[in-house]
Amino acid sequence: MIKLTIDGKEIEAQEGTTVLEAAEAAGVFVPTLCHHPQLTPYGGCRLCMVEVEGAGTLQPSCTLPATNGMAVKTNTQKVLDARKFVLTLIFSERNHFCMYCQVSGGDCELQNRAYDEGMTHWDLQPNWQPFEVDASHPFMVLDNNRCILCRRCVRACGELVGNYTLGFEERGADSLLVADYNVPFGESSCISCGTCVQICPTGAIIDRQSAYQGKETEVDHHIGVCVECSVGCQRDVLTRDNRLIRIEGEWDAVLNHGLLCDKGRFLPLEDDRARLLTPLVRKDGSLKAATWDDAMKAIAEGLGKGKGLAAIASTRLPIEDLALFKSVFADALQAGLVTTLEEGKATASLAKMAEKLGKPFESNLDVLKDTDAVLSLELDLVDEHQVAGFFVKRQIADGTKLVVADGKGNKLAENASFKLDLKAGDENAFLAKLYEATQNETGDEDFDKAAKLLKNAKKPVIVYGEGFAAHADEKALETLLEISESLGAELVGVKGNANSMAASQLGLEAPIKVNGHKSAFVMLGDEEPSQKLVKQLEEVPFVVALSAYGSQLTGNADVVLPVTMWAEQSGTYMNMDGRMQKAVQALEIPEGVLTSRETLLKISESLSIETDADWKTKVTSRTPTVEIKEV
Amino acid sequence: MSLLDIDERILQVVELVDLRATPITDLKEPDEDGVTVGILEGGINNTYNEEIAKKMRERCKILVALGDCAVFGGVPAMRNFVGADAALQRAYVEAESNDSEGKIPSSPELAQMTRVRAVSEVVPVDLFIPGCPPDADVIFYALVELAQGRIPEIKNKNLHWH
Ligand code: SF4
Ligand code: SF4
Ligand code: SF4
Ligand code: SF4
Ligand code: FES
Repeated sequence: MIKLTIDGKEIEAQEGTTVLEAAEAAGVFVPTLCHHPQLTPYGGCRLCMVEVEGAGTLQPSCTLPATNGMAVKTNTQKVLDARKFVLTLIFSERNHFCMYCQVSGGDCELQNRAYDEGMTHWDLQPNWQPFEVDASHPFMVLDNNRCILCRRCVRACGELVGNYTLGFEERGADSLLVADYNVPFGESSCISCGTCVQICPTGAIIDRQSAYQGKETEVDHHIGVCVECSVGCQRDVLTRDNRLIRIEGEWDAVLNHGLLCDKGRFLPLEDDRARLLTPLVRKDGSLKAATWDDAMKAIAEGLGKGKGLAAIASTRLPIEDLALFKSVFADALQAGLVTTLEEGKATASLAKMAEKLGKPFESNLDVLKDTDAVLSLELDLVDEHQVAGFFVKRQIADGTKLVVADGKGNKLAENASFKLDLKAGDENAFLAKLYEATQNETGDEDFDKAAKLLKNAKKPVIVYGEGFAAHADEKALETLLEISESLGAELVGVKGNANSMAASQLGLEAPIKVNGHKSAFVMLGDEEPSQKLVKQLEEVPFVVALSAYGSQLTGNADVVLPVTMWAEQSGTYMNMDGRMQKAVQALEIPEGVLTSRETLLKISESLSIETDADWKTKVTSRTPTVEIKEV
Repeated sequence: MSLLDIDERILQVVELVDLRATPITDLKEPDEDGVTVGILEGGINNTYNEEIAKKMRERCKILVALGDCAVFGGVPAMRNFVGADAALQRAYVEAESNDSEGKIPSSPELAQMTRVRAVSEVVPVDLFIPGCPPDADVIFYALVELAQGRIPEIKNKNLHWH
């Protein structure tokens, strides 16, 4: 601990903190622009200047290390004048005529900082140099005219996402923010994670979906977990007048610290599937609008129970819904098949191994944030579970090595030191050979080198996904455990959908085999059913579908019940980490629609089934692959 | 024109001051022997605006720039990015609403277009009240303060450019 004074106040700070951090901890506000808590301090804008006793000139507090005995002043006239001067220079560098800027009126950090300083105007006129606006990207507009050259976007794209799309061309006043080697943004290597638009303090990067839809002062916030995959990123869903405006990553979230991928940020707002708003019941061969009561009657008549009944639920639904689903169909109705659309592909083999070991064997996702060697098995973290991929990709510049084992095209492999061929079904032979390579040489150069790389690593991690879990048998997993032990490697299983692991914990992971089933109950929520499932269900005489959207499956069903989509429901999710997090309702439920949970209760009531609301015990009683944590 | 946004409160202001000249009263210019407060709306877009600004500066003890155009140049300043000639060409000749005869007016009586400037680029300004449009409450507050011989403080909730 060191001691220093800030504005006369004595404070203690950890060694290694900056003056800015020390000031913030002491509750002293110092304005910043280029600084962002998630980025390495940069010291570019000079707005954060403070007076330090003994120093001849003002110092940027965001990069200045706090030292013992330091006396800092943040609000002397000299500091205040410097701030105004810095802001004046920034304003006059480009076009900051706020009256035609999207972020003006609360959403611009530059404007807000000028207001804080009481600037009614500035004395320098801009140099009237226009820059071209790049609107080629589907989700963002890049407007260099509003750019303050703080490089937050460039640093975020590199340091946080590991994508290195953004950079600057030219120097000084001519500096131009460009994608790749100045190609149109929409044709660049950008993966649409949106971190740059979220971190930009000004109107230089604009979010197309929410542009002019509502400012910070006009929107409501709903902070909860993303339900698009099992990474479980925390996000903020912004709404206004019951409309989705924008989705942002939560900077304070320990897991994703502000990051999201396109699936979590932009794509949910692009959903234009036809919404179901009324129950439908098949009459004389065609589906007709019906009341909920009619639908309940039809279900009571046709659903049946026992072996001939198949029940399938989406792993995008909350644990509460899945547990209730199990209680109705497995416990009460004794259905022959009770499973999920995911069929346990990403979890079943691993869960069995955990049961056999009697303890978890996988590690937290956090180990991917600090590793020097990663072995990825049949998993493309550029395509799926992307934020976990960012954790890996962003370390590569610092020397983290990557070995990618896959049998098909894999974009993560572009960054790999070694790419090993692992065809689906060959897991046993592959792992046996890899194990051999960690013990002796195998003579296969790539294997030997990859094994050596992993052996020499201090914090190796082996990460695998559905492709691997779906094919690996007990023997393969045993070999994997041996390899991990001999390398001292952590194991991370990414699982599948948002509640993939919870479904596994509930034992809902049987493969969907339709053979002679008389009826089926499909709880889709807002999940789009696969063609394969549509085909499989064609053989079933009576199908009940719970769905937010119309699809081929609902078109073929005999009873269709309209249920909520992700933004209209709340509930608990268990991510790949075993971390239990809440999703929160952001939109009102349309009239005539129920949540899947309410629908299940309604059905139970009409069938006079006793249900059990306790989901927590059920979801935690099975030995998990990774320790379960309540957050 | 934002001045009129203060609605009937304008009567309270009129009671407090001796209103000398406005663009819509008989007297268009402040008295030659000077007035206490002069308010300018709009940026300096041509030689005529320049003359007015200078005259106002000479005759007003306190010169106020009201609105983003007067304070920063405002929306008309967008034309600075393309230049006056291109802006005229676009407006009088190329614009979709013009017929084929469209041409740029060129009477010697017309003022000469210049680069659009904030008032403070041409003459010193004592008080800046930004806003696009400036908020009626802020205008009222500022006028009442000025009328009572105080300089209004444009800050915190009273400060927004847009
Ligand atoms: S980026 Fe900020 S300061 Fe610049 S024009 Fe937009 S609102 Fe104004
Ligand atoms: S969206 Fe993501 S990948 Fe694309 S430029 Fe921005 S930060 Fe980089
Ligand atoms: S685009 Fe935004 S974040 Fe990037 S340098 Fe410009 S102002 Fe900063
Ligand atoms: S990685 Fe998964 S949880 Fe995170 S934002 Fe993307 S889809 Fe959502
Ligand atoms: S915030 Fe410190 S220099 Fe920009």
